[in-house]
Amino acid sequence: MSHAPVMPVEAPPRIEWPAERRPEIEAALARYPNKRSAVLPVLWIAQRQWGWISPAAMRLVAETVELPEPEVFGIATFYTMFNLQPVGRHHLQVCMTLSCSLMGADRLFRHLERRLGIGHGQTTPDRRYTLRRVECLAACGGGPCMQVNFDYHENLDERKVDALLETLA
Amino acid sequence: MTPKSTAAAPSERGPLLFKDIDTPGLTSIETYRKGGGYRAVAEVVGKKAPEECIEIVKASGLRGRGGAGFPTGLKWSFVPKDSPKPRYLVCNADESEPGTFKDRELMEKNPHLLVEGMVLSAWAIKANTGYIYLRGEFDYIQTILDRAIAEAREASWVGENVAGSGWRFELYTHLGAGAYICGEETALLSSLEGYRGQPRLKPPFPAVEGLYACPTVVNNTETLMNVPHILHHGAQWYRQWGTEKSAGTKILSVSGPVKRPGNYEVPLGMPLSQLINDLCGGMRDGLKVKAVIPGGSSVPLLPASMLDTGLDYESMNAAGTFLGSGGVIVIDDQTCIVDALYNITRFYEHESCGKCTPCREGTYWMSEVFERLESGHGREHDIDLLLDVADNINGKSFCALGDAAAMPVQGAIKHFRDEFEYHVTHKRCAVNRRRAEIDEAQVVPA
Amino acid sequence: MSANVKVHINGRAIEVPAGTLVTDAAHMAEVHVPIFCSHSKLPPLGACRICVVEIGMPKLGPDRKPVMAADGTPEIAWMPKVQTGCTTTVADGMHVRTESPVAVKARKGVMEFLLVNHPLDCPVCDEGGECQLQDLAFAFGQDFSRMDEAKRTFDSEDLGPVVKKEANRCIVCMRCVRYCDEVMGDDALTAHQRGVWTEISSFNRQPLECEQCGNCVEVCPVGALTALPYRFKARPWDLRQHVTICPYCSNGCSVRLGVRGDEVLRARGTEFRGVNQEFLCVRGRFGYEFINRSDRLSAPLIRVGDALSPSTFDEAVALASHRLREIAAVNGPESVAFLGGEKLNVEEQYLFQKLARAVVRTPHVDARTRFSARVSGQAILSATGGGRPALSWEELFEAQEVLVLGDDLQGEGPLAQAVIIRGQHQAGLHITVAHPRRVKLAREKFRGDWLGFRPGSELALLHALTRAALEGGVPAEAPDVVKAPLGGLRETLSAWTPERVRAETGVEMAAIAAAAGRLRAASRKAILFGRAFTEHPQAVALLQAIENLGWASGALTEARSSIMYVGPQNNSQGALDMGLTPDVLPGYVALDDVAGRQRFEQQWGGALPAAGLSATEILDSAAEGKIKALWIVSDHWLRSAPDRARAEQALARAELVIVNDLFLTETAARAHVVFPVASFAEKEGVVVNSERRLQKSARALPPRRGTRADWEVFQAVAQALGARWSYRTAEDVFREIARLVPTYQGRLWATLLPDGVVWSETRVAPAVSTPTETRPPEADGLALLSGGILFLQGSLSHRSELLPRLAKEAFAALHPDEAVRLGVSAGDALELEGPAGQITLPVALDASVPAGSVFVPYAYAAVELNRLGLRSRAPRVTARRAAALAAV
Repeated sequence: MSHAPVMPVEAPPRIEWPAERRPEIEAALARYPNKRSAVLPVLWIAQRQWGWISPAAMRLVAETVELPEPEVFGIATFYTMFNLQPVGRHHLQVCMTLSCSLMGADRLFRHLERRLGIGHGQTTPDRRYTLRRVECLAACGGGPCMQVNFDYHENLDERKVDALLETLA
Repeated sequence: MTPKSTAAAPSERGPLLFKDIDTPGLTSIETYRKGGGYRAVAEVVGKKAPEECIEIVKASGLRGRGGAGFPTGLKWSFVPKDSPKPRYLVCNADESEPGTFKDRELMEKNPHLLVEGMVLSAWAIKANTGYIYLRGEFDYIQTILDRAIAEAREASWVGENVAGSGWRFELYTHLGAGAYICGEETALLSSLEGYRGQPRLKPPFPAVEGLYACPTVVNNTETLMNVPHILHHGAQWYRQWGTEKSAGTKILSVSGPVKRPGNYEVPLGMPLSQLINDLCGGMRDGLKVKAVIPGGSSVPLLPASMLDTGLDYESMNAAGTFLGSGGVIVIDDQTCIVDALYNITRFYEHESCGKCTPCREGTYWMSEVFERLESGHGREHDIDLLLDVADNINGKSFCALGDAAAMPVQGAIKHFRDEFEYHVTHKRCAVNRRRAEIDEAQVVPA
Repeated sequence: MSANVKVHINGRAIEVPAGTLVTDAAHMAEVHVPIFCSHSKLPPLGACRICVVEIGMPKLGPDRKPVMAADGTPEIAWMPKVQTGCTTTVADGMHVRTESPVAVKARKGVMEFLLVNHPLDCPVCDEGGECQLQDLAFAFGQDFSRMDEAKRTFDSEDLGPVVKKEANRCIVCMRCVRYCDEVMGDDALTAHQRGVWTEISSFNRQPLECEQCGNCVEVCPVGALTALPYRFKARPWDLRQHVTICPYCSNGCSVRLGVRGDEVLRARGTEFRGVNQEFLCVRGRFGYEFINRSDRLSAPLIRVGDALSPSTFDEAVALASHRLREIAAVNGPESVAFLGGEKLNVEEQYLFQKLARAVVRTPHVDARTRFSARVSGQAILSATGGGRPALSWEELFEAQEVLVLGDDLQGEGPLAQAVIIRGQHQAGLHITVAHPRRVKLAREKFRGDWLGFRPGSELALLHALTRAALEGGVPAEAPDVVKAPLGGLRETLSAWTPERVRAETGVEMAAIAAAAGRLRAASRKAILFGRAFTEHPQAVALLQAIENLGWASGALTEARSSIMYVGPQNNSQGALDMGLTPDVLPGYVALDDVAGRQRFEQQWGGALPAAGLSATEILDSAAEGKIKALWIVSDHWLRSAPDRARAEQALARAELVIVNDLFLTETAARAHVVFPVASFAEKEGVVVNSERRLQKSARALPPRRGTRADWEVFQAVAQALGARWSYRTAEDVFREIARLVPTYQGRLWATLLPDGVVWSETRVAPAVSTPTETRPPEADGLALLSGGILFLQGSLSHRSELLPRLAKEAFAALHPDEAVRLGVSAGDALELEGPAGQITLPVALDASVPAGSVFVPYAYAAVELNRLGLRSRAPRVTARRAAALAAV
């Protein structure tokens, strides 16, 4: 007798690593004296493969590094860079910490919200952009800074970011 | 394609680590060797006893450049002499302290200096395996470092038989995934071992029981990159810069509305004002300095009146703050201190790992109070409440993140209480350039 | 004995053992330092910070001597920051301040932080009234709140049918996650996200895949995790709480039942008491529901024609005694047999056999209705060292090497399993599991060794282990009387070559030798066995072989025993101690021990019969009509008897069947007289666990109207038969036991609380037996594997609401390859045929079941395994795909 929302009862499906990922995974496992140390590199491989860490991917990672599934769930959700939902082709991560904020990051973020029509954590309907506020990217001398996927773009303002977006298909 | 990190370009970037850092092609081993790279390895590995190397580094006065400033040689000497367990050397390249971006430039432009530094430091502590823990955002840095390590392996500076000495040293990079707390050494080790990145009890200290419960030394990138120079030139040579207790050089990362923000390598002890006014060219846009955070967001700020404080560990301590990571954040007179501290406090709330009560709950609470102050709903007792909450966190939390969240608040209220009181009485900021700029943001045409 | 260390707590000097934590030292000094994340079963964490105190050491001068202050006391250098007492070990000379302004402010600060996001849910929270946060906030906090911001909130979740999670209340002490990892070995819970958004949950918020033990709820210091079956039912101050001994397995856990009115509303652990403290398994914690059912028998029943009709107690007693006297007179007392009793209290077991032997004068008494061989009443005692000082669960935790023979402890002894898992995680314990299936303890994550022997090769495995153990020669600590025989045994066992071992067991001799070697080398070790061996047709040979292995490996020495019998029922050990076996009197007095027997004859009045038939012999004898009267207690005999068809025959042919039960089971439905009896919670009495620990189970609520304790029924019938029994209470019975029964002599009920008393007295001489020859492995059909499971144990568990739901559907489990070979897939109907009949069950696929066998747990109500008529537990069955599942 509870008023809890309905929790998923079905286990996520089993998925497999594509063959071309196997060498990477073996290389990752070989760098450490035990398998669990490879959980971060293997999660990264999963994210590179599928764009995000789904529950099915967590199961697969758990099996690969021989950890219990709940533990991988706990690890994947601890770190901000693992996408727990699918993201757009271009993940726009705008630093909002003090140094960038002093140089106009808030204004830049507001501009992006208006231009793309989405807010923090959201994705455009055409799945082209996901927009997020993030914390310090270690680019403080070049703020405002935005990381697009893994690429750093510094000293941005509205004009430059508009030009940048044009180059992102 | 990542644009190179920008830095202002004075004629000489710095006396030691930055001396030749803009040499074209420095990331390749041929160019690196031409500049004297790996000569220290040839001189030391298999030739100088590890204990002797530790003594040299001790004598040099090198201190941890990541933030804590702990004497490096002393830390190395804590590794038990006769432990049968394997030893590990870990480079803390998690650079996440707001205001700090020196390690990024160092690794991006001179990866081989880090490799060499790790080889030599591992030799000194008799480690056979090293890991470079990079923050997750540094994916491109990992590519640069992996390439450099591969080149070094080919030249036998890394691998089964380093420089023909018979000593084996394997070096790997490891990418984090977005957690400031993983810059704390035991949290870093937790993360590296494949756990949630939460800190661990000390004692035992990592030098005795660290990675996989084996003796481990964790050093900052910049610290390690000093080691080849020190072991090649000697301890006294290193002391030509700096002060008695703060020997050598330090890279300061300057950000905020100065004319030339960027990384600057200076001898320890240079006054902060010289850094900002001379090297960085002073403030831009007619702004004036209101306050400066000298060592990353975790340290209390210095009001403009204390700008002459020397950039060394002792002088900063005497001024009631810390040299820390050397992340110099310049706050201008059109910026609201309360707003700035709100930004910082939110950062610690987001980055708190959640393990201990004071930090987990306290950073949340402080953020909420700051939000009310900023939005005009502050109350008289909120200021003393912030001070008391900060006091209840400081020194009570499991690790230094709690202290890092508390001290800036205490420092800001100490020096700028009037701004906080203004918020209470006037229900708004006295000045707030940032907020004004947001409102000016152009509306994008449909 | 560890050296003592002198510490000062708030100025008071005390001595504590070295290695004591500051929080425990404070406790010893009667200073209360609050804790949340700290737990006796978990390593120190230091996360909650509520236990912060000031710590200092005497200042040392340059001469390394303490610096003295003006008043002659040493000057103390206090650490600049407060420290968590739960992570700090005492040092000699340490000073601790728990009430200084610094310590008090720090602690109050932490208390305040704990209440920042914790909601004021007390009026709607089940934990209220027994909540550590409430209690400690009251003791150490302040009575006002400065925090009036919005609190962070989560959705509440049901993590399955057992655990309710209100994440808003969580203080992230991580006890639940750590307990599930370190003690239960399930790793089902995790913390996800971070910071204030740290939330405890299961993988992907799905129902927890775990043992559903509810220990996470038990150790949660707040109301973040609560038990769904108990939700909103009562407040703790409404409940009367009494500590009973669990009615299920033989681990002997203390179960604190909470009763309101005449209803048992919940069961909890006891925190500091008993062998289990806070631990309970799902059965102990949620398996009490049968007590409350409305279909409990509330009046005796008497057969009138074809039907049973209610009668009065006096009528039922009169009828039972009259018919017993009649049948015994016409056919001789040996035509009467007494069966069952492993779940009765010791007092009742004693009276049951006394009624049989001294009043009815029949020799046929046996509690062990599931056994298929005739196993002497002393055989298990011999195998476990003859009565030598036995292993406790605490000592099991500290063992270096543990060998589990044949049983899945997850079903047979969940506490034992948890002790072993925690030992593996925290104390360097190494597990070796010998089992055909890869059961939980054999999983790789516990880093033990698994000897996956072929079903039916148990004896071969024991011989091989013993042979390997003797490679190192005869152990020095063995009693002199076995040393020479052990030497001879070594010779005889040399026939067990690696080839023969592999051929018969399917296990490499190297692995077996390694296991035996580890046992020999360990100074602290344990061997555990249970019904997989005692219910086996070769039980006699297996028990002898276990004893051989014990002497050969050093698990049995002159001084003590490290071999434990994990009996199937909560008082299996008591049944053995009280002589509910046909060849042995209470206290293991052999019936052919003239002097011992005479003592009982004097006390009980009259000659006692000689040895009688065992349960399996009684079964056959009754089916053939030679035994004409059966009295069955605490047992659903139609399910437990090795051959159901024979048991039905027996019940049909018998002229008198008396059954004591709580419910009208199928067995009771065929009786002539049914006595409704009280449940374990409704009577006081002593229960003996696998440690041979006597524990008194309290009476938590009065017997259901119309029921009596079994012993009262026995007394009434005995008196009607002319016996001059006058026990007023169960304690009276125990006093007689304490006068008469060896190993129980001198015991007092009063001394059996709170932690009971372990008996040890060598009753049987050590023996090294000639190894029995093994039978060649069979090839026809599939090997039938069975065994106990966690969620169900016995017919009482079927009457719970939750347990059958957790157990889900009965199944026949096949290895996927075996399923392919048989042409079946998951869910298909599989018919299993034995000599006497067949059963049909849905197929489940399970890679931990070896090929060539089928695993059918017998505890499901739908599984009537004894219809197959197999008289052994490692039998062969013919398996084929069936057209459809039989309607259940």
